[in-house]
Amino acid sequence: MTGSLRIAADIGGTFTDVAMIRGNETIATRKVASTPDDYARGVAEGILELIEVEELKPSDVGEVMHACTVATNAILEAKGARTALVTTEGFRDVLEMRRIRVPRLYDPLYEKPPALSPRKWRFEVTERLDWQGQIITPLDEQSVERVIEQIRAAKVDAVAVCLLHSYANPAHEVRIGEMLKAALPNIFVSLSVDILPELREYERTSTTVINSYVGPPVKRYLDSLRARLANAGLPERFFMMHSAGGIIDSRTVIRKPAQIVECGPAAGVIGARAIVTEAGFPDAIAFDMGGTTAKASLIVNGELLRADDYEVGGGISLSSKLAKGGGYALKLPVIDISEVGAGGGSIVWRDRAGALKVGPHSAGAAPGPACYDAGGTEPTVTDANMVLGYLNPVALAGGAVTVNPQPSQDALNRVVAEPLGISLDEAAFGVHELVSTIMTRAVKSVTTFRGHDPRDFAMIAFGGNGGVHSVSLARSLQVPTVIVPPAAGVLSALGLLYADIETSASGSLLAPLEGVDATRVLASYGALIDQTANELGLPRSSLKFVQEIDLRYKGQAFELTLPLPAGSQFTESDTEQLVNIFHDEHQRAYGYRLKDTPVEIVTLRVTARVPRTETGMASYEGTGKAREMTTRMVYFGPQWGRLETPIMERAALTAKAQSGPLIIEEYEGTTIVPPDCKVHIDQTGNIIIALPRQVRLTQSAEAAE
Amino acid sequence: MTNRHAQDIDPIRLEVMKNAFDAIADEMALMLMRAAYSPIVRDSMDYSTAICDANGQTLAQGVTTPMHLGSFYDAMQYLITTFENDIHPGDTFIANDPYAAAGQHLPDIYIIEPIFHDDVLVGWTTTLAHHADVGGIVPGSNAMGAVEIYQEGLRLPFLKLVERGKPNEAIWSIIRLNVRIPEMVEGDLRAQMAASHAGRRSFLDLVERYGIDDVLACAEELHNYAERLGRAEIRDLPKGTYRFTDHLDGLGETPETITIQLAVTIHEETISVDFEGTSPQVAGGLNTPLPFTKASVYTALRSIMQSEIPNCHGFERVVEVTAPKGTLVNSVHPAPCGARGITGYRTIDAMFGALAQAVPDRVTADGMGGSTIPTFSGVHEGKAFVFSETAMGTWGATSAHDGQVGVPHMGANQANVPIEMIEANYPLRIRQYGIAPDTGGAGKFRGGNAFIREYEYIGETDGLFSLRSDKRKHLPHGLFGGENGTAPVNLLITEQGEQELPVMVTNPHVIRKGDVFRHISPSGGGFGPAEERDPSLIEADMEAGLITSDAR
Repeated sequence: MTGSLRIAADIGGTFTDVAMIRGNETIATRKVASTPDDYARGVAEGILELIEVEELKPSDVGEVMHACTVATNAILEAKGARTALVTTEGFRDVLEMRRIRVPRLYDPLYEKPPALSPRKWRFEVTERLDWQGQIITPLDEQSVERVIEQIRAAKVDAVAVCLLHSYANPAHEVRIGEMLKAALPNIFVSLSVDILPELREYERTSTTVINSYVGPPVKRYLDSLRARLANAGLPERFFMMHSAGGIIDSRTVIRKPAQIVECGPAAGVIGARAIVTEAGFPDAIAFDMGGTTAKASLIVNGELLRADDYEVGGGISLSSKLAKGGGYALKLPVIDISEVGAGGGSIVWRDRAGALKVGPHSAGAAPGPACYDAGGTEPTVTDANMVLGYLNPVALAGGAVTVNPQPSQDALNRVVAEPLGISLDEAAFGVHELVSTIMTRAVKSVTTFRGHDPRDFAMIAFGGNGGVHSVSLARSLQVPTVIVPPAAGVLSALGLLYADIETSASGSLLAPLEGVDATRVLASYGALIDQTANELGLPRSSLKFVQEIDLRYKGQAFELTLPLPAGSQFTESDTEQLVNIFHDEHQRAYGYRLKDTPVEIVTLRVTARVPRTETGMASYEGTGKAREMTTRMVYFGPQWGRLETPIMERAALTAKAQSGPLIIEEYEGTTIVPPDCKVHIDQTGNIIIALPRQVRLTQSAEAAE
Repeated sequence: MTNRHAQDIDPIRLEVMKNAFDAIADEMALMLMRAAYSPIVRDSMDYSTAICDANGQTLAQGVTTPMHLGSFYDAMQYLITTFENDIHPGDTFIANDPYAAAGQHLPDIYIIEPIFHDDVLVGWTTTLAHHADVGGIVPGSNAMGAVEIYQEGLRLPFLKLVERGKPNEAIWSIIRLNVRIPEMVEGDLRAQMAASHAGRRSFLDLVERYGIDDVLACAEELHNYAERLGRAEIRDLPKGTYRFTDHLDGLGETPETITIQLAVTIHEETISVDFEGTSPQVAGGLNTPLPFTKASVYTALRSIMQSEIPNCHGFERVVEVTAPKGTLVNSVHPAPCGARGITGYRTIDAMFGALAQAVPDRVTADGMGGSTIPTFSGVHEGKAFVFSETAMGTWGATSAHDGQVGVPHMGANQANVPIEMIEANYPLRIRQYGIAPDTGGAGKFRGGNAFIREYEYIGETDGLFSLRSDKRKHLPHGLFGGENGTAPVNLLITEQGEQELPVMVTNPHVIRKGDVFRHISPSGGGFGPAEERDPSLIEADMEAGLITSDAR
């Protein structure tokens, strides 16, 4: 009999973070070095270390929660399986032609990323369906047999099967799957009808190929981790996060391994959601700033936003929603997270016309920012923050990294202040402001680009640099409140503990909404409900099902996903209600409605979830007595200049609001409270910063609406 | 009007504002795409968005179609001059005519909104989208056979589609009556309006945060900055005059070659491009008004520059474009210009041909020459339909790698239309889409392979088919010993047999159920002598089936 303790491990590039909630509802965390030769080793070691420190036994652990980068790395490092593709005759190159668009304008020297299944391993079979799933050419099984022999000869590890219009009729793909499994039992096979039964052949093919490409490495990893946990006396059964932020039994991951490609970033957002919901800010922007990138995503009324047009490994682009084609299309549910190449290590430089630029190049961990005094000579964002006095001038990370402000000053003087003829303070503050503007594009792409106004949201900041930049970012977007949670540096691991067990499924159903055959829609929902329940392997009575529907005006290419009103049976009045909801939502997102244009159904979606019983957050355990307060001179922009600023620990803050300037220093990171902001701490230990109120849109602008 | 001046703006504030302008243009582009209806806008993404300063100079452009960008300025000048003192908050302008509004060609409709702050005009949001039909003698309104613009469809000078917040229903009625697919055109126009509206609001948010003086001063300084960057780039280019002559195969059944001749002169800090020697305007839709020619020149020049020059008007100050009036590249009323895109593509190709002599490592050998546009029309499920798409693309090789396949032309970053979407919405079946083996000019680096796209018409009633392609007679050129690419194939396969169509069809063909159009695009030119090719690359091509044993 195992214990009841829940423990979570999240693998990052450098560190593996482990977190657990103690019996007294407080949080314990541990960071250990990641082990790239076999990541499972680091996970097992980290868990055992934390247990030992906490004076517990492996048998006290009831559940292990996990997020890893194995699938992502396979794609980014081109180390996935040797993957073949089986497709309809005439369409071998759909995968390679892609959608034609390139991510950059004006670049004749651009090279496309190579297809994950190279042309020599892409094979065609004779068959053809039309868009309604009717058979135009029956499947020629002899052509399949010939292809199977070619696949055998190619010695691949994985096969993806994606036929034209298979979303409308899976029969041919299913039959090819049976034949492949019978002939080549050791090869990993994915069918597009199992992975993404949705319209649009390139996106469906690419997603299915990714699934096959990451399948074998993910399986190897999961097997290794299972063995290592068992050897350590930990539970063999563990749970994993998927890219949409739900938790699933690790044994079901392997049916659709592509679903864990973005599980790490998802875990951070789940942690953020748990915190803001508890803290009373159900509408929030989750802002995660690390050493090389900054990420943003949105929480609306406690719910996460999903993306429908995602690419893996596209590189970091300032306008990722538009600049597509640089990565690999993966159309599985994923939390909508946008990313820009601006972090603490981003290098500051000037272009040939003298403009100041930040990133995307990063000083990385080695040599690191100039202030690390480890050979870095180019100024970075962290150096600017050092000059401004935002960072401790002796050591960072609670003493773990010693620093020297002098190289920061030299580098910024040389590259920015002297050439521009401005003071060092102005130069450093300019860099700080510029970084905020670059990051606003990440936030905008999940807010204004999607029809949400950032001023209606709070911001929760995490990651090593979240607390340093969040207030200036919030200011430029007119976000009124910033929240910096405790343990902000290991929020992803914490997120794993707060996630729901859930999975989702979807299917295309292209039909006009008004007058739709209710039996057909309800049967499709029924099938999706069965599928999700099976995937979770749990009794239906223990699950809660959320049904959604993608609708659009007939003729539009893009859909809006709407929750299906409870109890909808697609009667005439039900569909009328849905049509009205759609008109309203379209009006909100795009500013207009087309009353007389028919509305059509595109996709049905079901999410199955195990309702969580304990919803409470771990309570905050202050260190008791605050360290003695010190001060230093800190620059807050031309309006205030340098001010003597108290430096304190989180524990020294109170529930009563204090005015800035203030700086909170802790092991996890630093939080800046400018002079015109107020700060207090809530009962779960969150730092809450209130920005001064700003006036919204001008009168004349409102009048012109 | 402004109390701050461009010279007071520091580089930091400038970069902050530049990023903010870019974000607005992108936001507009995304909104337009998501709300649009026609495949050519929502899937091919043949549209552009921009924000402009009060003088109509572009400040930022969404990442869509470079060839549109440089033409905005002239249209804006036309609008501002025409409506001087009659531009008010709540107005929305519409136009498409090349001659009466400095437009591009009739299918490209502008929707433009002024931005007012405290009753002062401070900027503009501009959108331009290619509409699936605007009337005229052929469905799709890209007639190659039109001999004057009156035959090409509905002509709109600058008009107020909305006046002080009040919609002008008369204009909507006229549009609906003159186009074959009014619902689709209206849907796309509304998507444009939604995008420009959103852009205006975001611009005003920016004014709210930084103050109008700073925003305007930054806008001015952004142009200066782009100009400085352009000058810095040009200083490093080898000085001299570089000439190139390129061709369009010509119109109809008995095509006559059309010549584009240009001379690029790189001066100390500026570049001038002259089109002396280019053919006179033609009796067919290939003519381009000068603004579009200028835009094509800017696109090519911007592509060889290495700095991230902002997509704003300032860059254009370092480039001078001249072309004799009445020629293909500076057409005058009433020359038709429905299919002018291909002349723009060829202008860019000719520019690269000239620039290859100056900066051989920064260009590709010649590619497929821009989109092939098949247009199918008829009646489907009781309603008129028009389907056309911009099929692209293949590049020539560079000094470092083989030509790319499945890429857009440098002039237009457009996408393909998903086959499953086409078949769900139109009486068409795509029989093949992929790479054509044994194509691509040989070379040390081989030109990109051609692609094949084959369409079967499955409508119950007869339809019409038209086509725009090129480069059968004048093949994509190789560079520095690389061989030319291959010619396109345009086969119409009917019960009567196979018929090779002209590259530019001037009289649409009647098509019946079961008729097939098979297109093989031109392939790219090679770079460097073929005997210098790494044998392992040849082996890899054979393994991938890009070279078949028949060809060896």
